[in-house]
Amino acid sequence: MAEVAAVLDGIARYVVPRTLDEALGVLAAGGVSILAGGTDLMPQARAGRVRLQPVLINIRRLPELTGIERAGGGIRIGALVTITALRDSALVRERLHLLWQACDHFASDQIRNVATVGGNLCNASPAGDTLIPLLALGASAVLAATGGTRRVPLGEFFTGPGRSCRRPEELLVAVEVPEPPAGFAGVFCKHGTRPALDISTISLAVGARRDGTVLRDVRIACGAVAPTPIRALQAEAVVEGRAADAATIAAAAQAALADIHPISDVRASDWYRREMVRNLLQRALSHVGQL
Amino acid sequence: MAEAMPAAPSLIGRRIRKLDAPEKASGRTRYIHDLEVPGALHAKILRSTEIHARIVAIDTSAARALPGVHAVITAADVPWQRPIGVGKDHLPLKTDRVRSLRDEIAAVAADTEEIAEAALRLIRVTYAKLPVLADVTAAMAADAPQLHEGRPGNVAMTFDYAQGDVAQGERESDVVIEDVFRLHYVTHCCMGVSGVIAEFDPAGNLLLHSNTQVPFLHKREFAEALGIDPARIRIIQPPIGGAFGSKLDIYPFEPIAIFLAKITGRPVKLLFTREEEFLASPTRQPVLLKLRSGCRRDGTLTFRTVETVHDNGAYTSWGATTPFVMMQTISSLYRVPHCLYHTAAIYTNNPYAGSFRGYGNLQATFAVEAHMEKLAEAVGMDGLAFRLKNAQTAGEVTPQGMQFKSCGFQQCLETAAARSDYLRKHAAYAAQQRAPGPVKRGIGMASMLHVGGGAKIYPSDGCGTILKIDDFAHVTLMTGASEIGQGSETVLAQLVCEELGLPLEAVTVVNNDTDITPWDVGVHASRTTFIAGNSAIGAARKARAKILAAAAQKTGLTEEALGLAGGCVVRRASGERLFELGKFLRGLHFSDRAELVMTTFYYEPPSRHQDREFKGDVSAAYAWATQVCEVEVDSDTGIVRLLKVTGAHDVGRVLNRLGIEGQIEGGVVMGQGYALTEDLMVDHGVIRNPNFRDYKLVTAPEIPEMDITFIETLDGEGPQGAKGVGEAPAICIAAAIANAIWNATGTRIYALPFTPEHVYRALHGAAAPPAWTGGA
Repeated sequence: MAEVAAVLDGIARYVVPRTLDEALGVLAAGGVSILAGGTDLMPQARAGRVRLQPVLINIRRLPELTGIERAGGGIRIGALVTITALRDSALVRERLHLLWQACDHFASDQIRNVATVGGNLCNASPAGDTLIPLLALGASAVLAATGGTRRVPLGEFFTGPGRSCRRPEELLVAVEVPEPPAGFAGVFCKHGTRPALDISTISLAVGARRDGTVLRDVRIACGAVAPTPIRALQAEAVVEGRAADAATIAAAAQAALADIHPISDVRASDWYRREMVRNLLQRALSHVGQL
Repeated sequence: MAEAMPAAPSLIGRRIRKLDAPEKASGRTRYIHDLEVPGALHAKILRSTEIHARIVAIDTSAARALPGVHAVITAADVPWQRPIGVGKDHLPLKTDRVRSLRDEIAAVAADTEEIAEAALRLIRVTYAKLPVLADVTAAMAADAPQLHEGRPGNVAMTFDYAQGDVAQGERESDVVIEDVFRLHYVTHCCMGVSGVIAEFDPAGNLLLHSNTQVPFLHKREFAEALGIDPARIRIIQPPIGGAFGSKLDIYPFEPIAIFLAKITGRPVKLLFTREEEFLASPTRQPVLLKLRSGCRRDGTLTFRTVETVHDNGAYTSWGATTPFVMMQTISSLYRVPHCLYHTAAIYTNNPYAGSFRGYGNLQATFAVEAHMEKLAEAVGMDGLAFRLKNAQTAGEVTPQGMQFKSCGFQQCLETAAARSDYLRKHAAYAAQQRAPGPVKRGIGMASMLHVGGGAKIYPSDGCGTILKIDDFAHVTLMTGASEIGQGSETVLAQLVCEELGLPLEAVTVVNNDTDITPWDVGVHASRTTFIAGNSAIGAARKARAKILAAAAQKTGLTEEALGLAGGCVVRRASGERLFELGKFLRGLHFSDRAELVMTTFYYEPPSRHQDREFKGDVSAAYAWATQVCEVEVDSDTGIVRLLKVTGAHDVGRVLNRLGIEGQIEGGVVMGQGYALTEDLMVDHGVIRNPNFRDYKLVTAPEIPEMDITFIETLDGEGPQGAKGVGEAPAICIAAAIANAIWNATGTRIYALPFTPEHVYRALHGAAAPPAWTGGA
């Protein structure tokens, strides 16, 4: 308790806006930390990795940031949608199955109940569980500010570990996911020391559409193997338009090694991460080839 | 007349829920964290930021000036402090030198924890760095700095044991193998973090609310450290949120809280944060072990030569003494005529190890059972037959002096093998090693010997009981034995009820106050059921005799003709109820010759302190177990899944079936964590993962199917025939999993833990096996 109090000592003002405009006005004034689920913010603040700003804004009551719905050829997921809500959504399960799978691997029930997809994106961990499938699915972040709204593809949104291109005055209000083509299917693979409640050593989201004997619209995204979540574009190119035979799969797995830049840390060595990307990508591709 | 006893059902062997279960399950238990003492100050400790350094200067002036701060102390404020711990090499507050990152430099007592923390941030310490001794190799180098005065070569402790003549044993061997094993750091991860509340009364008596496992012996330790009379110290133990051996020693935070209480004249409460718990509570002893073993062609073991080196860390606690137990497994789990054993515990700048459930036995069993498997294969025997050929049996006296009066070891081996289908599966899985596909199954076996009737590591291994029965036939059992979550209260109540013919609700157990409860040497060595159980039975039998004598006088019947059952005094032969016990006792109270039923008993087990050569029958009984683990190994990832554990445990007799099942299951999972997921990463004196995100305990989905059989050998000395079982279930798991991985893959892994990358590296030839760096 003492730690919490010490962390909160630097906060001069706590704001709970009821409308997006009100929230954007607070953000425009500067010096703001944004609180949604708090499952990343609070432990990081306590550990001294994040310094809380003088104004703490709790965005949990903004109606504009909620809901999962079809909109203009895509699916719009409000930034405040919790991981549990994603997992319980029939639309996500049926149309964004890669994302749904990731939610099933995400932390624990208690965390899933409060953690939000927007928070997961803004935390910008290279290992973030929803980031990898959303990147594979070609999603974009919707960033609002008093001056207007912009859309940034996730491939450009992440700029480094814990960093994104969101400006301090901007609020992530939603993530928009283009509806995958009919027949698109995929596999999310999270690899760690234990099957539950773990941070990925590496993770993979692999999706494609079967067209006769070949795979098209191949998407491969990797987590915890570079400063940001990344698409394995060279590996995608190897598989695109080809049958998922052993030679193609092996070539793609090899190509992926040129896409990734893993480091050694407390969870694994860079060598082991490379080995896992190669081995698990082969496994995932052969699985997708049979979906 | 019928001979049968009255039809009161026996409580022994039944599934009885723990007495404290409703309180704990409903969140009402008041742990030390929940205790609020009026007027208490809150304390925090400033730890070193250097691994090894001279302390040049400490400036506490700004901290002292902070409003709300009542005291800031450093070693200079307590010149009378004395070294603590098993090695008496550890000053609570460091004077001129820090030897590890956990080291205590200063402490603050303030109105709130927040103020105390703010004050810590205002303390300025100037260090002069010294070379870091990151491992035993560095610490044993000829030019290494000496970490403690009077400890040349940085040797903290050595142990030597010999039986027979290993050279002769080697000459008689047809097969000789030698391997080096490396066992890693893990830590207890008690749900309740460490804490203490210290308070002096105006007369100078010290009251401690403490989570200690050893209240009576620690009174003396505290008194020595503080220079006060032990008789003026009272220790009350609130319900303890897990201990597992971690609270068997005293640590600097405890004297520091006492110093602050003395200096401020106020109660002082000190609680660890979770991170502090990782950094500053003890670990399991990391061990590098070289084992050389041999056998004859017919499978008879001939000799074992063992050398181990323990990274002692910066100070000496119980971890250094784990050879006491390691050498028992090496000399006496199987019959080995010739053994030579040597250990050196070497000071380094790393964290230091304490006592931890199993106490060196996990480490020794890991090596011994790997060699049992390798030797069996070398002589072409199956692992079961090879073990059975060398397994101890009842009646044996080992060269180390242990006397196995009851011994269900062979039955454990046969039962676990049969119930797990070990022989068939082992052959089938071995045949599949080279089959296509990355996922392989394997099955592995390991067995253990552990003390089960106390452990006479002090001149006494006893426990006292005071028992009173009030005027409503309610029993208060005051026992010296501490409850640390293991369920001892329930078992002791059961044993007493069994003697007095009372229901479980008739007993209150008082076990947490040194001013009330009689002496005991602590909760450790799986001793509480056995030692405190026999003590409780002794007191209950005396009470029973007293009641029956009074009843005989009243009825004119003989004492032998009377019994206690169903809350009544009964005719022993027929079970006929003569009178209700409460009413009878009230009669004894309200009389002009009042005779209250209050008894005492002190039980001392018939074990012997080891001699200087580490020989002696150190326990009154010994526990045995065989565990078979079945695993799935994914060679593409290195992930090992534990699918099933089949265990057979010689527990003497099951007292509380629900309790013992819980204890076995918990121990299995603790052993699983040691084998597969837990790894306290110590890198050049720094713990890299002091949190539950990166220190990975086993979670619910990984817990395997368990099939546990209890082998009831009815030990002649045990309470109702029972033996201790607290540590046993954790001991074999890592060893059995190592053998299962070998069966699945053909790869023998000599170092723990079996986390995915370690296993993957081993399977793909990308890891060097452990090398002996312990010197000649």
